[in-house]
Amino acid sequence: MPTAAASSSSHSAVQVDGLVAEYDGRAVLDRVSMQAHQGEITVVLGESGCGKTTLLRHIVGLLTPKAGQVLINGRNLHAAGEEERERILRDIGMSFQGGALFSSLTLEENIALPIIEHTQVDRETATLLARMKLCVVGLEHAARLLPAEISGGMRKRAAVARALALDPGLLLFDELSAGLDPVTARELDELILRLKEHLGMTIVIVTHELGSIQMIADRAVMLDAGRILATGPLEEVRQTDHPKIRAFFDRRPRARTLHGDLRDSLIVNGERYGTGSG
Amino acid sequence: MEQDRAAIVHALRVSDHILSLVRQHTEQIEQLRPGTRHFLDLGQVPHLNGLEAATLLRLVQRGKSRGVTVQFTGVRQQAHQAFIGLDLSLLDSPEQRRGRLSLLESVGAHTLTAVATGRRLIEMIGELAYWLCIAPWRGKGIKWDRTYEQIVKIGVDGIPIVTFLSFLVGAVLALNAASQLRQFGAAIYIANLVAVSMTREMAPLITAIIVAGRSGSAITAELGTMVVSEEIDAMRTMALSPGRFLLLPRMLALLCAVPSLTMLSNVTGIFGGYWIGVLVLGLGSRNYLQQTGQALLMSDLVTGMIKSLVFAGLIGLVACYRGFYVHGGAEGVGTNTTASVVASIVLCILADAVFTTIFFYLS
Repeated sequence: MPTAAASSSSHSAVQVDGLVAEYDGRAVLDRVSMQAHQGEITVVLGESGCGKTTLLRHIVGLLTPKAGQVLINGRNLHAAGEEERERILRDIGMSFQGGALFSSLTLEENIALPIIEHTQVDRETATLLARMKLCVVGLEHAARLLPAEISGGMRKRAAVARALALDPGLLLFDELSAGLDPVTARELDELILRLKEHLGMTIVIVTHELGSIQMIADRAVMLDAGRILATGPLEEVRQTDHPKIRAFFDRRPRARTLHGDLRDSLIVNGERYGTGSG
Repeated sequence: MEQDRAAIVHALRVSDHILSLVRQHTEQIEQLRPGTRHFLDLGQVPHLNGLEAATLLRLVQRGKSRGVTVQFTGVRQQAHQAFIGLDLSLLDSPEQRRGRLSLLESVGAHTLTAVATGRRLIEMIGELAYWLCIAPWRGKGIKWDRTYEQIVKIGVDGIPIVTFLSFLVGAVLALNAASQLRQFGAAIYIANLVAVSMTREMAPLITAIIVAGRSGSAITAELGTMVVSEEIDAMRTMALSPGRFLLLPRMLALLCAVPSLTMLSNVTGIFGGYWIGVLVLGLGSRNYLQQTGQALLMSDLVTGMIKSLVFAGLIGLVACYRGFYVHGGAEGVGTNTTASVVASIVLCILADAVFTTIFFYLS
């Protein structure tokens, strides 16, 4: 496994050690180890279905590891008691792939909910804070709308605002830029950079957007079929001489090949298919 | 437009040349001994569509079943594109691929499912007990605003349908009883029959069936949709417990609304009987009410209320369980909603039978 050396000596906000995850007896993550350093942006890369979202769901405690452990600022979320778990989770903000906004609440109510539940502020102050968060993502005009009344891109931005509601130290974004127009995607990238630079937030993002990766990432974790292909500072991962990593960064499509029995049954240009260049 | 359609039809057609090739080679393969190799030259075929490639693939399958290796030779570059993605395993039906379970395996699988369901239900009841009895002492009170919201949805909005159906059931009971009791000059006992039937059996059961169909299904569908759209996961990541925010308010609302609706059903059902007895059968208003008053026993009312509380608990548990454990997207929501209503009604009728038997022997 070509693994780029970890060069940063900064403190790990997220430490994943030997994580194994299974779904219906099938290994989805196989002994995955990675780190997200304090105040840095870590991108999780890989083809669709390689286990990126599963990794994120383990980090935030939605899934329990089959083996291995996940530490958030040195604390094990999965072994924590109720109050400890709540304390850890209050310091994590997560934005889901589809937004996952509460459909029966308006945008400002969506964002005010965690503020009301986890702080001592009154409802009016929480609403004011919610509007401020919406302003950060450019949705102040949509505060009173329901999630069903706005576009998919707006829902994603609202989900980012909700993830920011409690000013968490750790932010997790699942496929943040997917389906967004280039201008909005760029705005979100700039917002993420601001969050890192001004507030020192640790950010872990699952993304496919090469432009976005180039602009924001400090470190990268490359997954392939549930295994770590490479991990380390972005430039080191980029330079890793592994065909799949090269193909990912060079946007090279996979060769479409024949399957199973047919591979032996087809002779193209005098050669059995798959043994030559075809 | 017509041209486009023709092109599509043409693209999905197996050419005569391929058909004759397949026919001819099928016969040849049938005559070969197992272990031999058979070649089919596709050098004269400049291109293939997907349907033709799949038809040729059947030849490989036929050969394989007879132990003959079939190979296509001289495949042109354009033609071989049509084969990409095809595989003999595509010809297997999903059942074949999954493999049938033996009787023992099937019993084992069902037992495991039942055990898992039981475990989850116990966890859910434990969670309910925690948020109801322990959490309020730790500063995490019951979400009364959400509970009132649910009481309005389940109880207040259910008043018209419960009133209407209970009235009809009371009236139908009276009419059915009249045809028999009149023969013995005992028509006035219609009042007794309606009052006792409604308070002991009909009102709790009708209300439970209406609530299961109206609100149980809505609860399952709402929670299931929240699961599918990751709203429940989002709640968990915000350290907001679905047990406190979703489960407990719905259970409390059901436990409050179902007995109230049952009470309403008692009154309107008896009024339905009164309406038939007085206006249709001419029994006399005063007599009818007097007879009803004599027939009504506090024990029957209490029995009915106990039943309605149990029914409410059953509907709530089934509806919430089915909602929280939805799998498979929109289809899963639909399946679980149907299952929720059916299971609630079956469980309520079962519980009713058990209660009636117990109360019968107790009295």
